Amino acid sequence: MRKTETFSRWGIIFAGIGMAIGTGNLWRFPRIVSQYGGGAFMIAWIIFLFIWAIPLLTIELALGKKIRMGVIGSFGKMMGRKYAWMGTFVAFVTAAITFYYTVVTGWCIKYFFATCFHGLIRKDPIQYWETFTSSWEPVGFHFLAIFIGCSIIYFGVVKGIERANKILIPSLFVLLLIAVGRSLTLPGAVQGLNFLFSPNLSQLGDIKVWLNALSQAAWSTGAGWGLMLTLGVYSRKKENPLLTTAALGFGNNMASLLAAAAVIPTVFSFFAGQNLAQEKVLDIMRQGNEGLTFKWIPILFSKIPSGNFFLAHFFMALCFAAFSSLITQLELISRIFMDTGLTRKKAVVIVGLCCFVLGLPSAISMGFFNNQDWVWAMGLVVSGSFFLILVLKVGPRKIREEIITRTEHKIRLGRWFDFLVTFFLPVQIIAMLGWWFWDSYSANPGNWWNILSKTSIGTVIFQWTVALAIFIIFNKLITKKLSLDKNDD
Amino acid sequence: MTIEALITMILIFGICLGGFILFLYLSSKEN
Repeated sequence: MRKTETFSRWGIIFAGIGMAIGTGNLWRFPRIVSQYGGGAFMIAWIIFLFIWAIPLLTIELALGKKIRMGVIGSFGKMMGRKYAWMGTFVAFVTAAITFYYTVVTGWCIKYFFATCFHGLIRKDPIQYWETFTSSWEPVGFHFLAIFIGCSIIYFGVVKGIERANKILIPSLFVLLLIAVGRSLTLPGAVQGLNFLFSPNLSQLGDIKVWLNALSQAAWSTGAGWGLMLTLGVYSRKKENPLLTTAALGFGNNMASLLAAAAVIPTVFSFFAGQNLAQEKVLDIMRQGNEGLTFKWIPILFSKIPSGNFFLAHFFMALCFAAFSSLITQLELISRIFMDTGLTRKKAVVIVGLCCFVLGLPSAISMGFFNNQDWVWAMGLVVSGSFFLILVLKVGPRKIREEIITRTEHKIRLGRWFDFLVTFFLPVQIIAMLGWWFWDSYSANPGNWWNILSKTSIGTVIFQWTVALAIFIIFNKLITKKLSLDKNDD
Repeated sequence: MTIEALITMILIFGICLGGFILFLYLSSKEN
């Protein structure tokens, strides 16, 4: 049997924080927090860190540490091989996100180079974006992102992920702190801070604020993706999962806060000089996936002193955040191949080729990219619910006392954990999925069933159903490839 | 900056930074 590498004490924390901090912290959080009311949203967002993200991440890390297999193997071992398809679905959702995440990482690399060498700041960013995405360049940068990511994990978790994150994460925090320093010294920046932190508590009565806070907590921390489970495979036996995941959860939220403190005061400072109404400023902040980051951020930085230097800073931070998450996503897929007996090097090469080919449609077509983001980002809620089903089937008390906690641990989970996973989290999942379906149906009542529409409920149900059907039908074949033996039925 | 915004900012940054440092410390001590 091959000897499994293990992270050092700090290695697992850096790897966990790197996994959690991604492009979503730098571009999604400032957008969502400005859309849903600043201070009030943040209160809900911090509550969900405690009652959603940390418990789920703790379960994942403990499972990986106990079973020492990837996502599919862990579901098969814990629930019996006939339920391994749930793990396959969880892995596939993360893989499907990775296929287009490598495209986003490629955009970040391109914009970093464009700022440094092509004078992006002196060009029309909106025109530049349209020209870039309608060319073949995104395919080249998609390949480059996969090549760099796979090269890092090719050398293993300690030489690859641990070493990379020990450089990427501290550098990212330094870059964010410099960006915050610049942002807060701009004229009119205080208005941005006032907007960001003013607590309008009446907004806590709005369900949309709570549901978006939950979605941000889930996506941003990586809870339910299976990534923490994959890192857990390489954790030391005496690791206390609760402490490690709590540290990474708070670290992730710190990065989000710094990103918001860097972006929002800059936006307000820019528009204070233009005499624009606050509503117009917020409209720009609410622009979709690529709108704020790749069109507006270059415009904003072009108007501030030393803008080119700080724009390059921003895109470098974005590249670091993207790679720190991407390498764990690639590791998750590679781990499954390694569970079938392949060597790390062969598994990484196969994963790199698959990611390149299956990510090509997103690199070529923005319509396809947006469809995949729509379908699989919400698939994470289903992935999270599969982890909960696993806990409920095995028994929350057994999971807490036998899987998560070891006798030498001084800080342990209490009985509140059993109540949380038995009642509270299932209600959250049902409420969130129900609201999302209803909201999407209401926005498009005449066309909700159309599976060819980019952002309909029909396309989501169709793609989820096809994936689930394939994984259930081929479950026996998939589990046969993995070493799921002994009395695991 | 308004007093309410200032207090909320200190509280939210305090919880996140405090939690981060506390759990890093506990994790390094126990692990």
